[in-house]
Amino acid sequence: MSLALPILRFPFAAPDSSRTAARRDGTVWMSSEGETSPEDRARANAALIRRMAGGDRDALAELYDSLSRPLYSTAKHILNDAAEAQDVVHDVFLALWENAASFDSGRGAAFSWAVTLTRNRAIDRLRTRANRARLLGNSIPDDLGYGSETGDLGGSGLAELGDRAVAVRSALAELPADQQRALELAFFSGLTQKEIADKLSEPIGTIKARIRRGLIKLRDALANRL
Amino acid sequence: MNDERQEEFASLYAFGLLEEPELSAFRSELERNPELQRLVAELRAAATALAHAAPEAVPPEALKSRVLASAAARGAKGPAEAREKVVPFPSWIPWLAAACIGAAAIWSQRQYAAARAENASLGEERRVALASLEETRAQLADARKLVTQYSLQVAELSTKLKDEGDLAHFKIATLASMLGDSPAALAVAVWDPAREQGVLEVSKLPALASEKDYQLWVIDAKYPAPVSAGVFEVDPVTGVAHVVFRADKPLHAIAKFAVSLERKGGVPQREGPIVLLSP
Repeated sequence: MSLALPILRFPFAAPDSSRTAARRDGTVWMSSEGETSPEDRARANAALIRRMAGGDRDALAELYDSLSRPLYSTAKHILNDAAEAQDVVHDVFLALWENAASFDSGRGAAFSWAVTLTRNRAIDRLRTRANRARLLGNSIPDDLGYGSETGDLGGSGLAELGDRAVAVRSALAELPADQQRALELAFFSGLTQKEIADKLSEPIGTIKARIRRGLIKLRDALANRL
Repeated sequence: MNDERQEEFASLYAFGLLEEPELSAFRSELERNPELQRLVAELRAAATALAHAAPEAVPPEALKSRVLASAAARGAKGPAEAREKVVPFPSWIPWLAAACIGAAAIWSQRQYAAARAENASLGEERRVALASLEETRAQLADARKLVTQYSLQVAELSTKLKDEGDLAHFKIATLASMLGDSPAALAVAVWDPAREQGVLEVSKLPALASEKDYQLWVIDAKYPAPVSAGVFEVDPVTGVAHVVFRADKPLHAIAKFAVSLERKGGVPQREGPIVLLSP
């Protein structure tokens, strides 16, 4: 199994400054095309969820337009199965619809809530698959895949990637390869600490340290970009 | 817990990778540590941002329609706030319902207790009644035995009484000797009117010559002359005779019995001397 991480080959290791105006002043990251700031997006999503709590199905449609791509991409990458990913996304939006009244923006962004629901449900499905050996050996790709492909967007899809995706990938690209790999497996694989350590043939303490250091760096990097 | 250790736990917690027993201890610390809560929120936001690092995939258009259709189907039980707007539901109603349920429960409990007590009482009464019934049945069986015994006794008594009644209708007479040379001669005559037949027991009557017979006579008030009841002989040694006799005419009112000494074979009308006579 190759541990070489294609993310290092990611062409946006240095974000395209012609398209983005990434600032590191810690407040706003704006695209050159005038996309709204992360704070504005968070507020907009929170407002949509409040409308959903009032029974507004148009708000649900808008939230779907806003979040469905990253949620579906996450579920599909975890499950490696488009049909199951669609089921997960469907269930997640229904859960958001039915529990919109319980959303508290003070405890986190709507995006984080939705991603957490999606990841948990996808991993639950992953863990219920009968063949654990298959899970360990085959279901998790060695890398996230965006070095050799760009998902459904095709080879030229980079230009169509959202500013948030660009920011995250840029921040990831700045991490050491072992930390990138540890974070990928921690988020997408559904494996435990020990299983990650076994998969990477490293002591568990080393894996914990990589996850800690990688996530702290990612937080700091994204604080200036998202 | 030092900062590095805390960051490690918070990082693992953000990915859902923290395991017991560290998980419980960390949660306890998280509840009372606002700074740790902030750290976890930041790390969780960074972790969930990794969703953007997945290979881009576009969900099919049909998925949106499917989501919206499912939401519409669940609209009736959708978001809580929506329900509040559609159907006003005063907050006191659940309390009222709870109070009603509580009152109903208490009432039911009391009814149950009363019914149980009554049931116990009825059960006791039933047991007493069953015991009484068994006793009565035993007494009835004894009574039936007694009735059977009494019936038998009554039957015996009836038979006895009948016999005695029949006996009452018998005519019994003792015939004393009229012979000077045989004063000890004696006879008893018993007449059964139902059978119109009689028995004569004779003792110590002198034996007769061969051309003579003793002849029994019945004096009935309805006839002017004695009615013959046949002839007989006595044992020549003991003077005893046992004679079953019938009268030549129907008898109605027997007054006396008499035995006379007659010619052999008897005579229609008495000719010889009377040797025995009843009073």
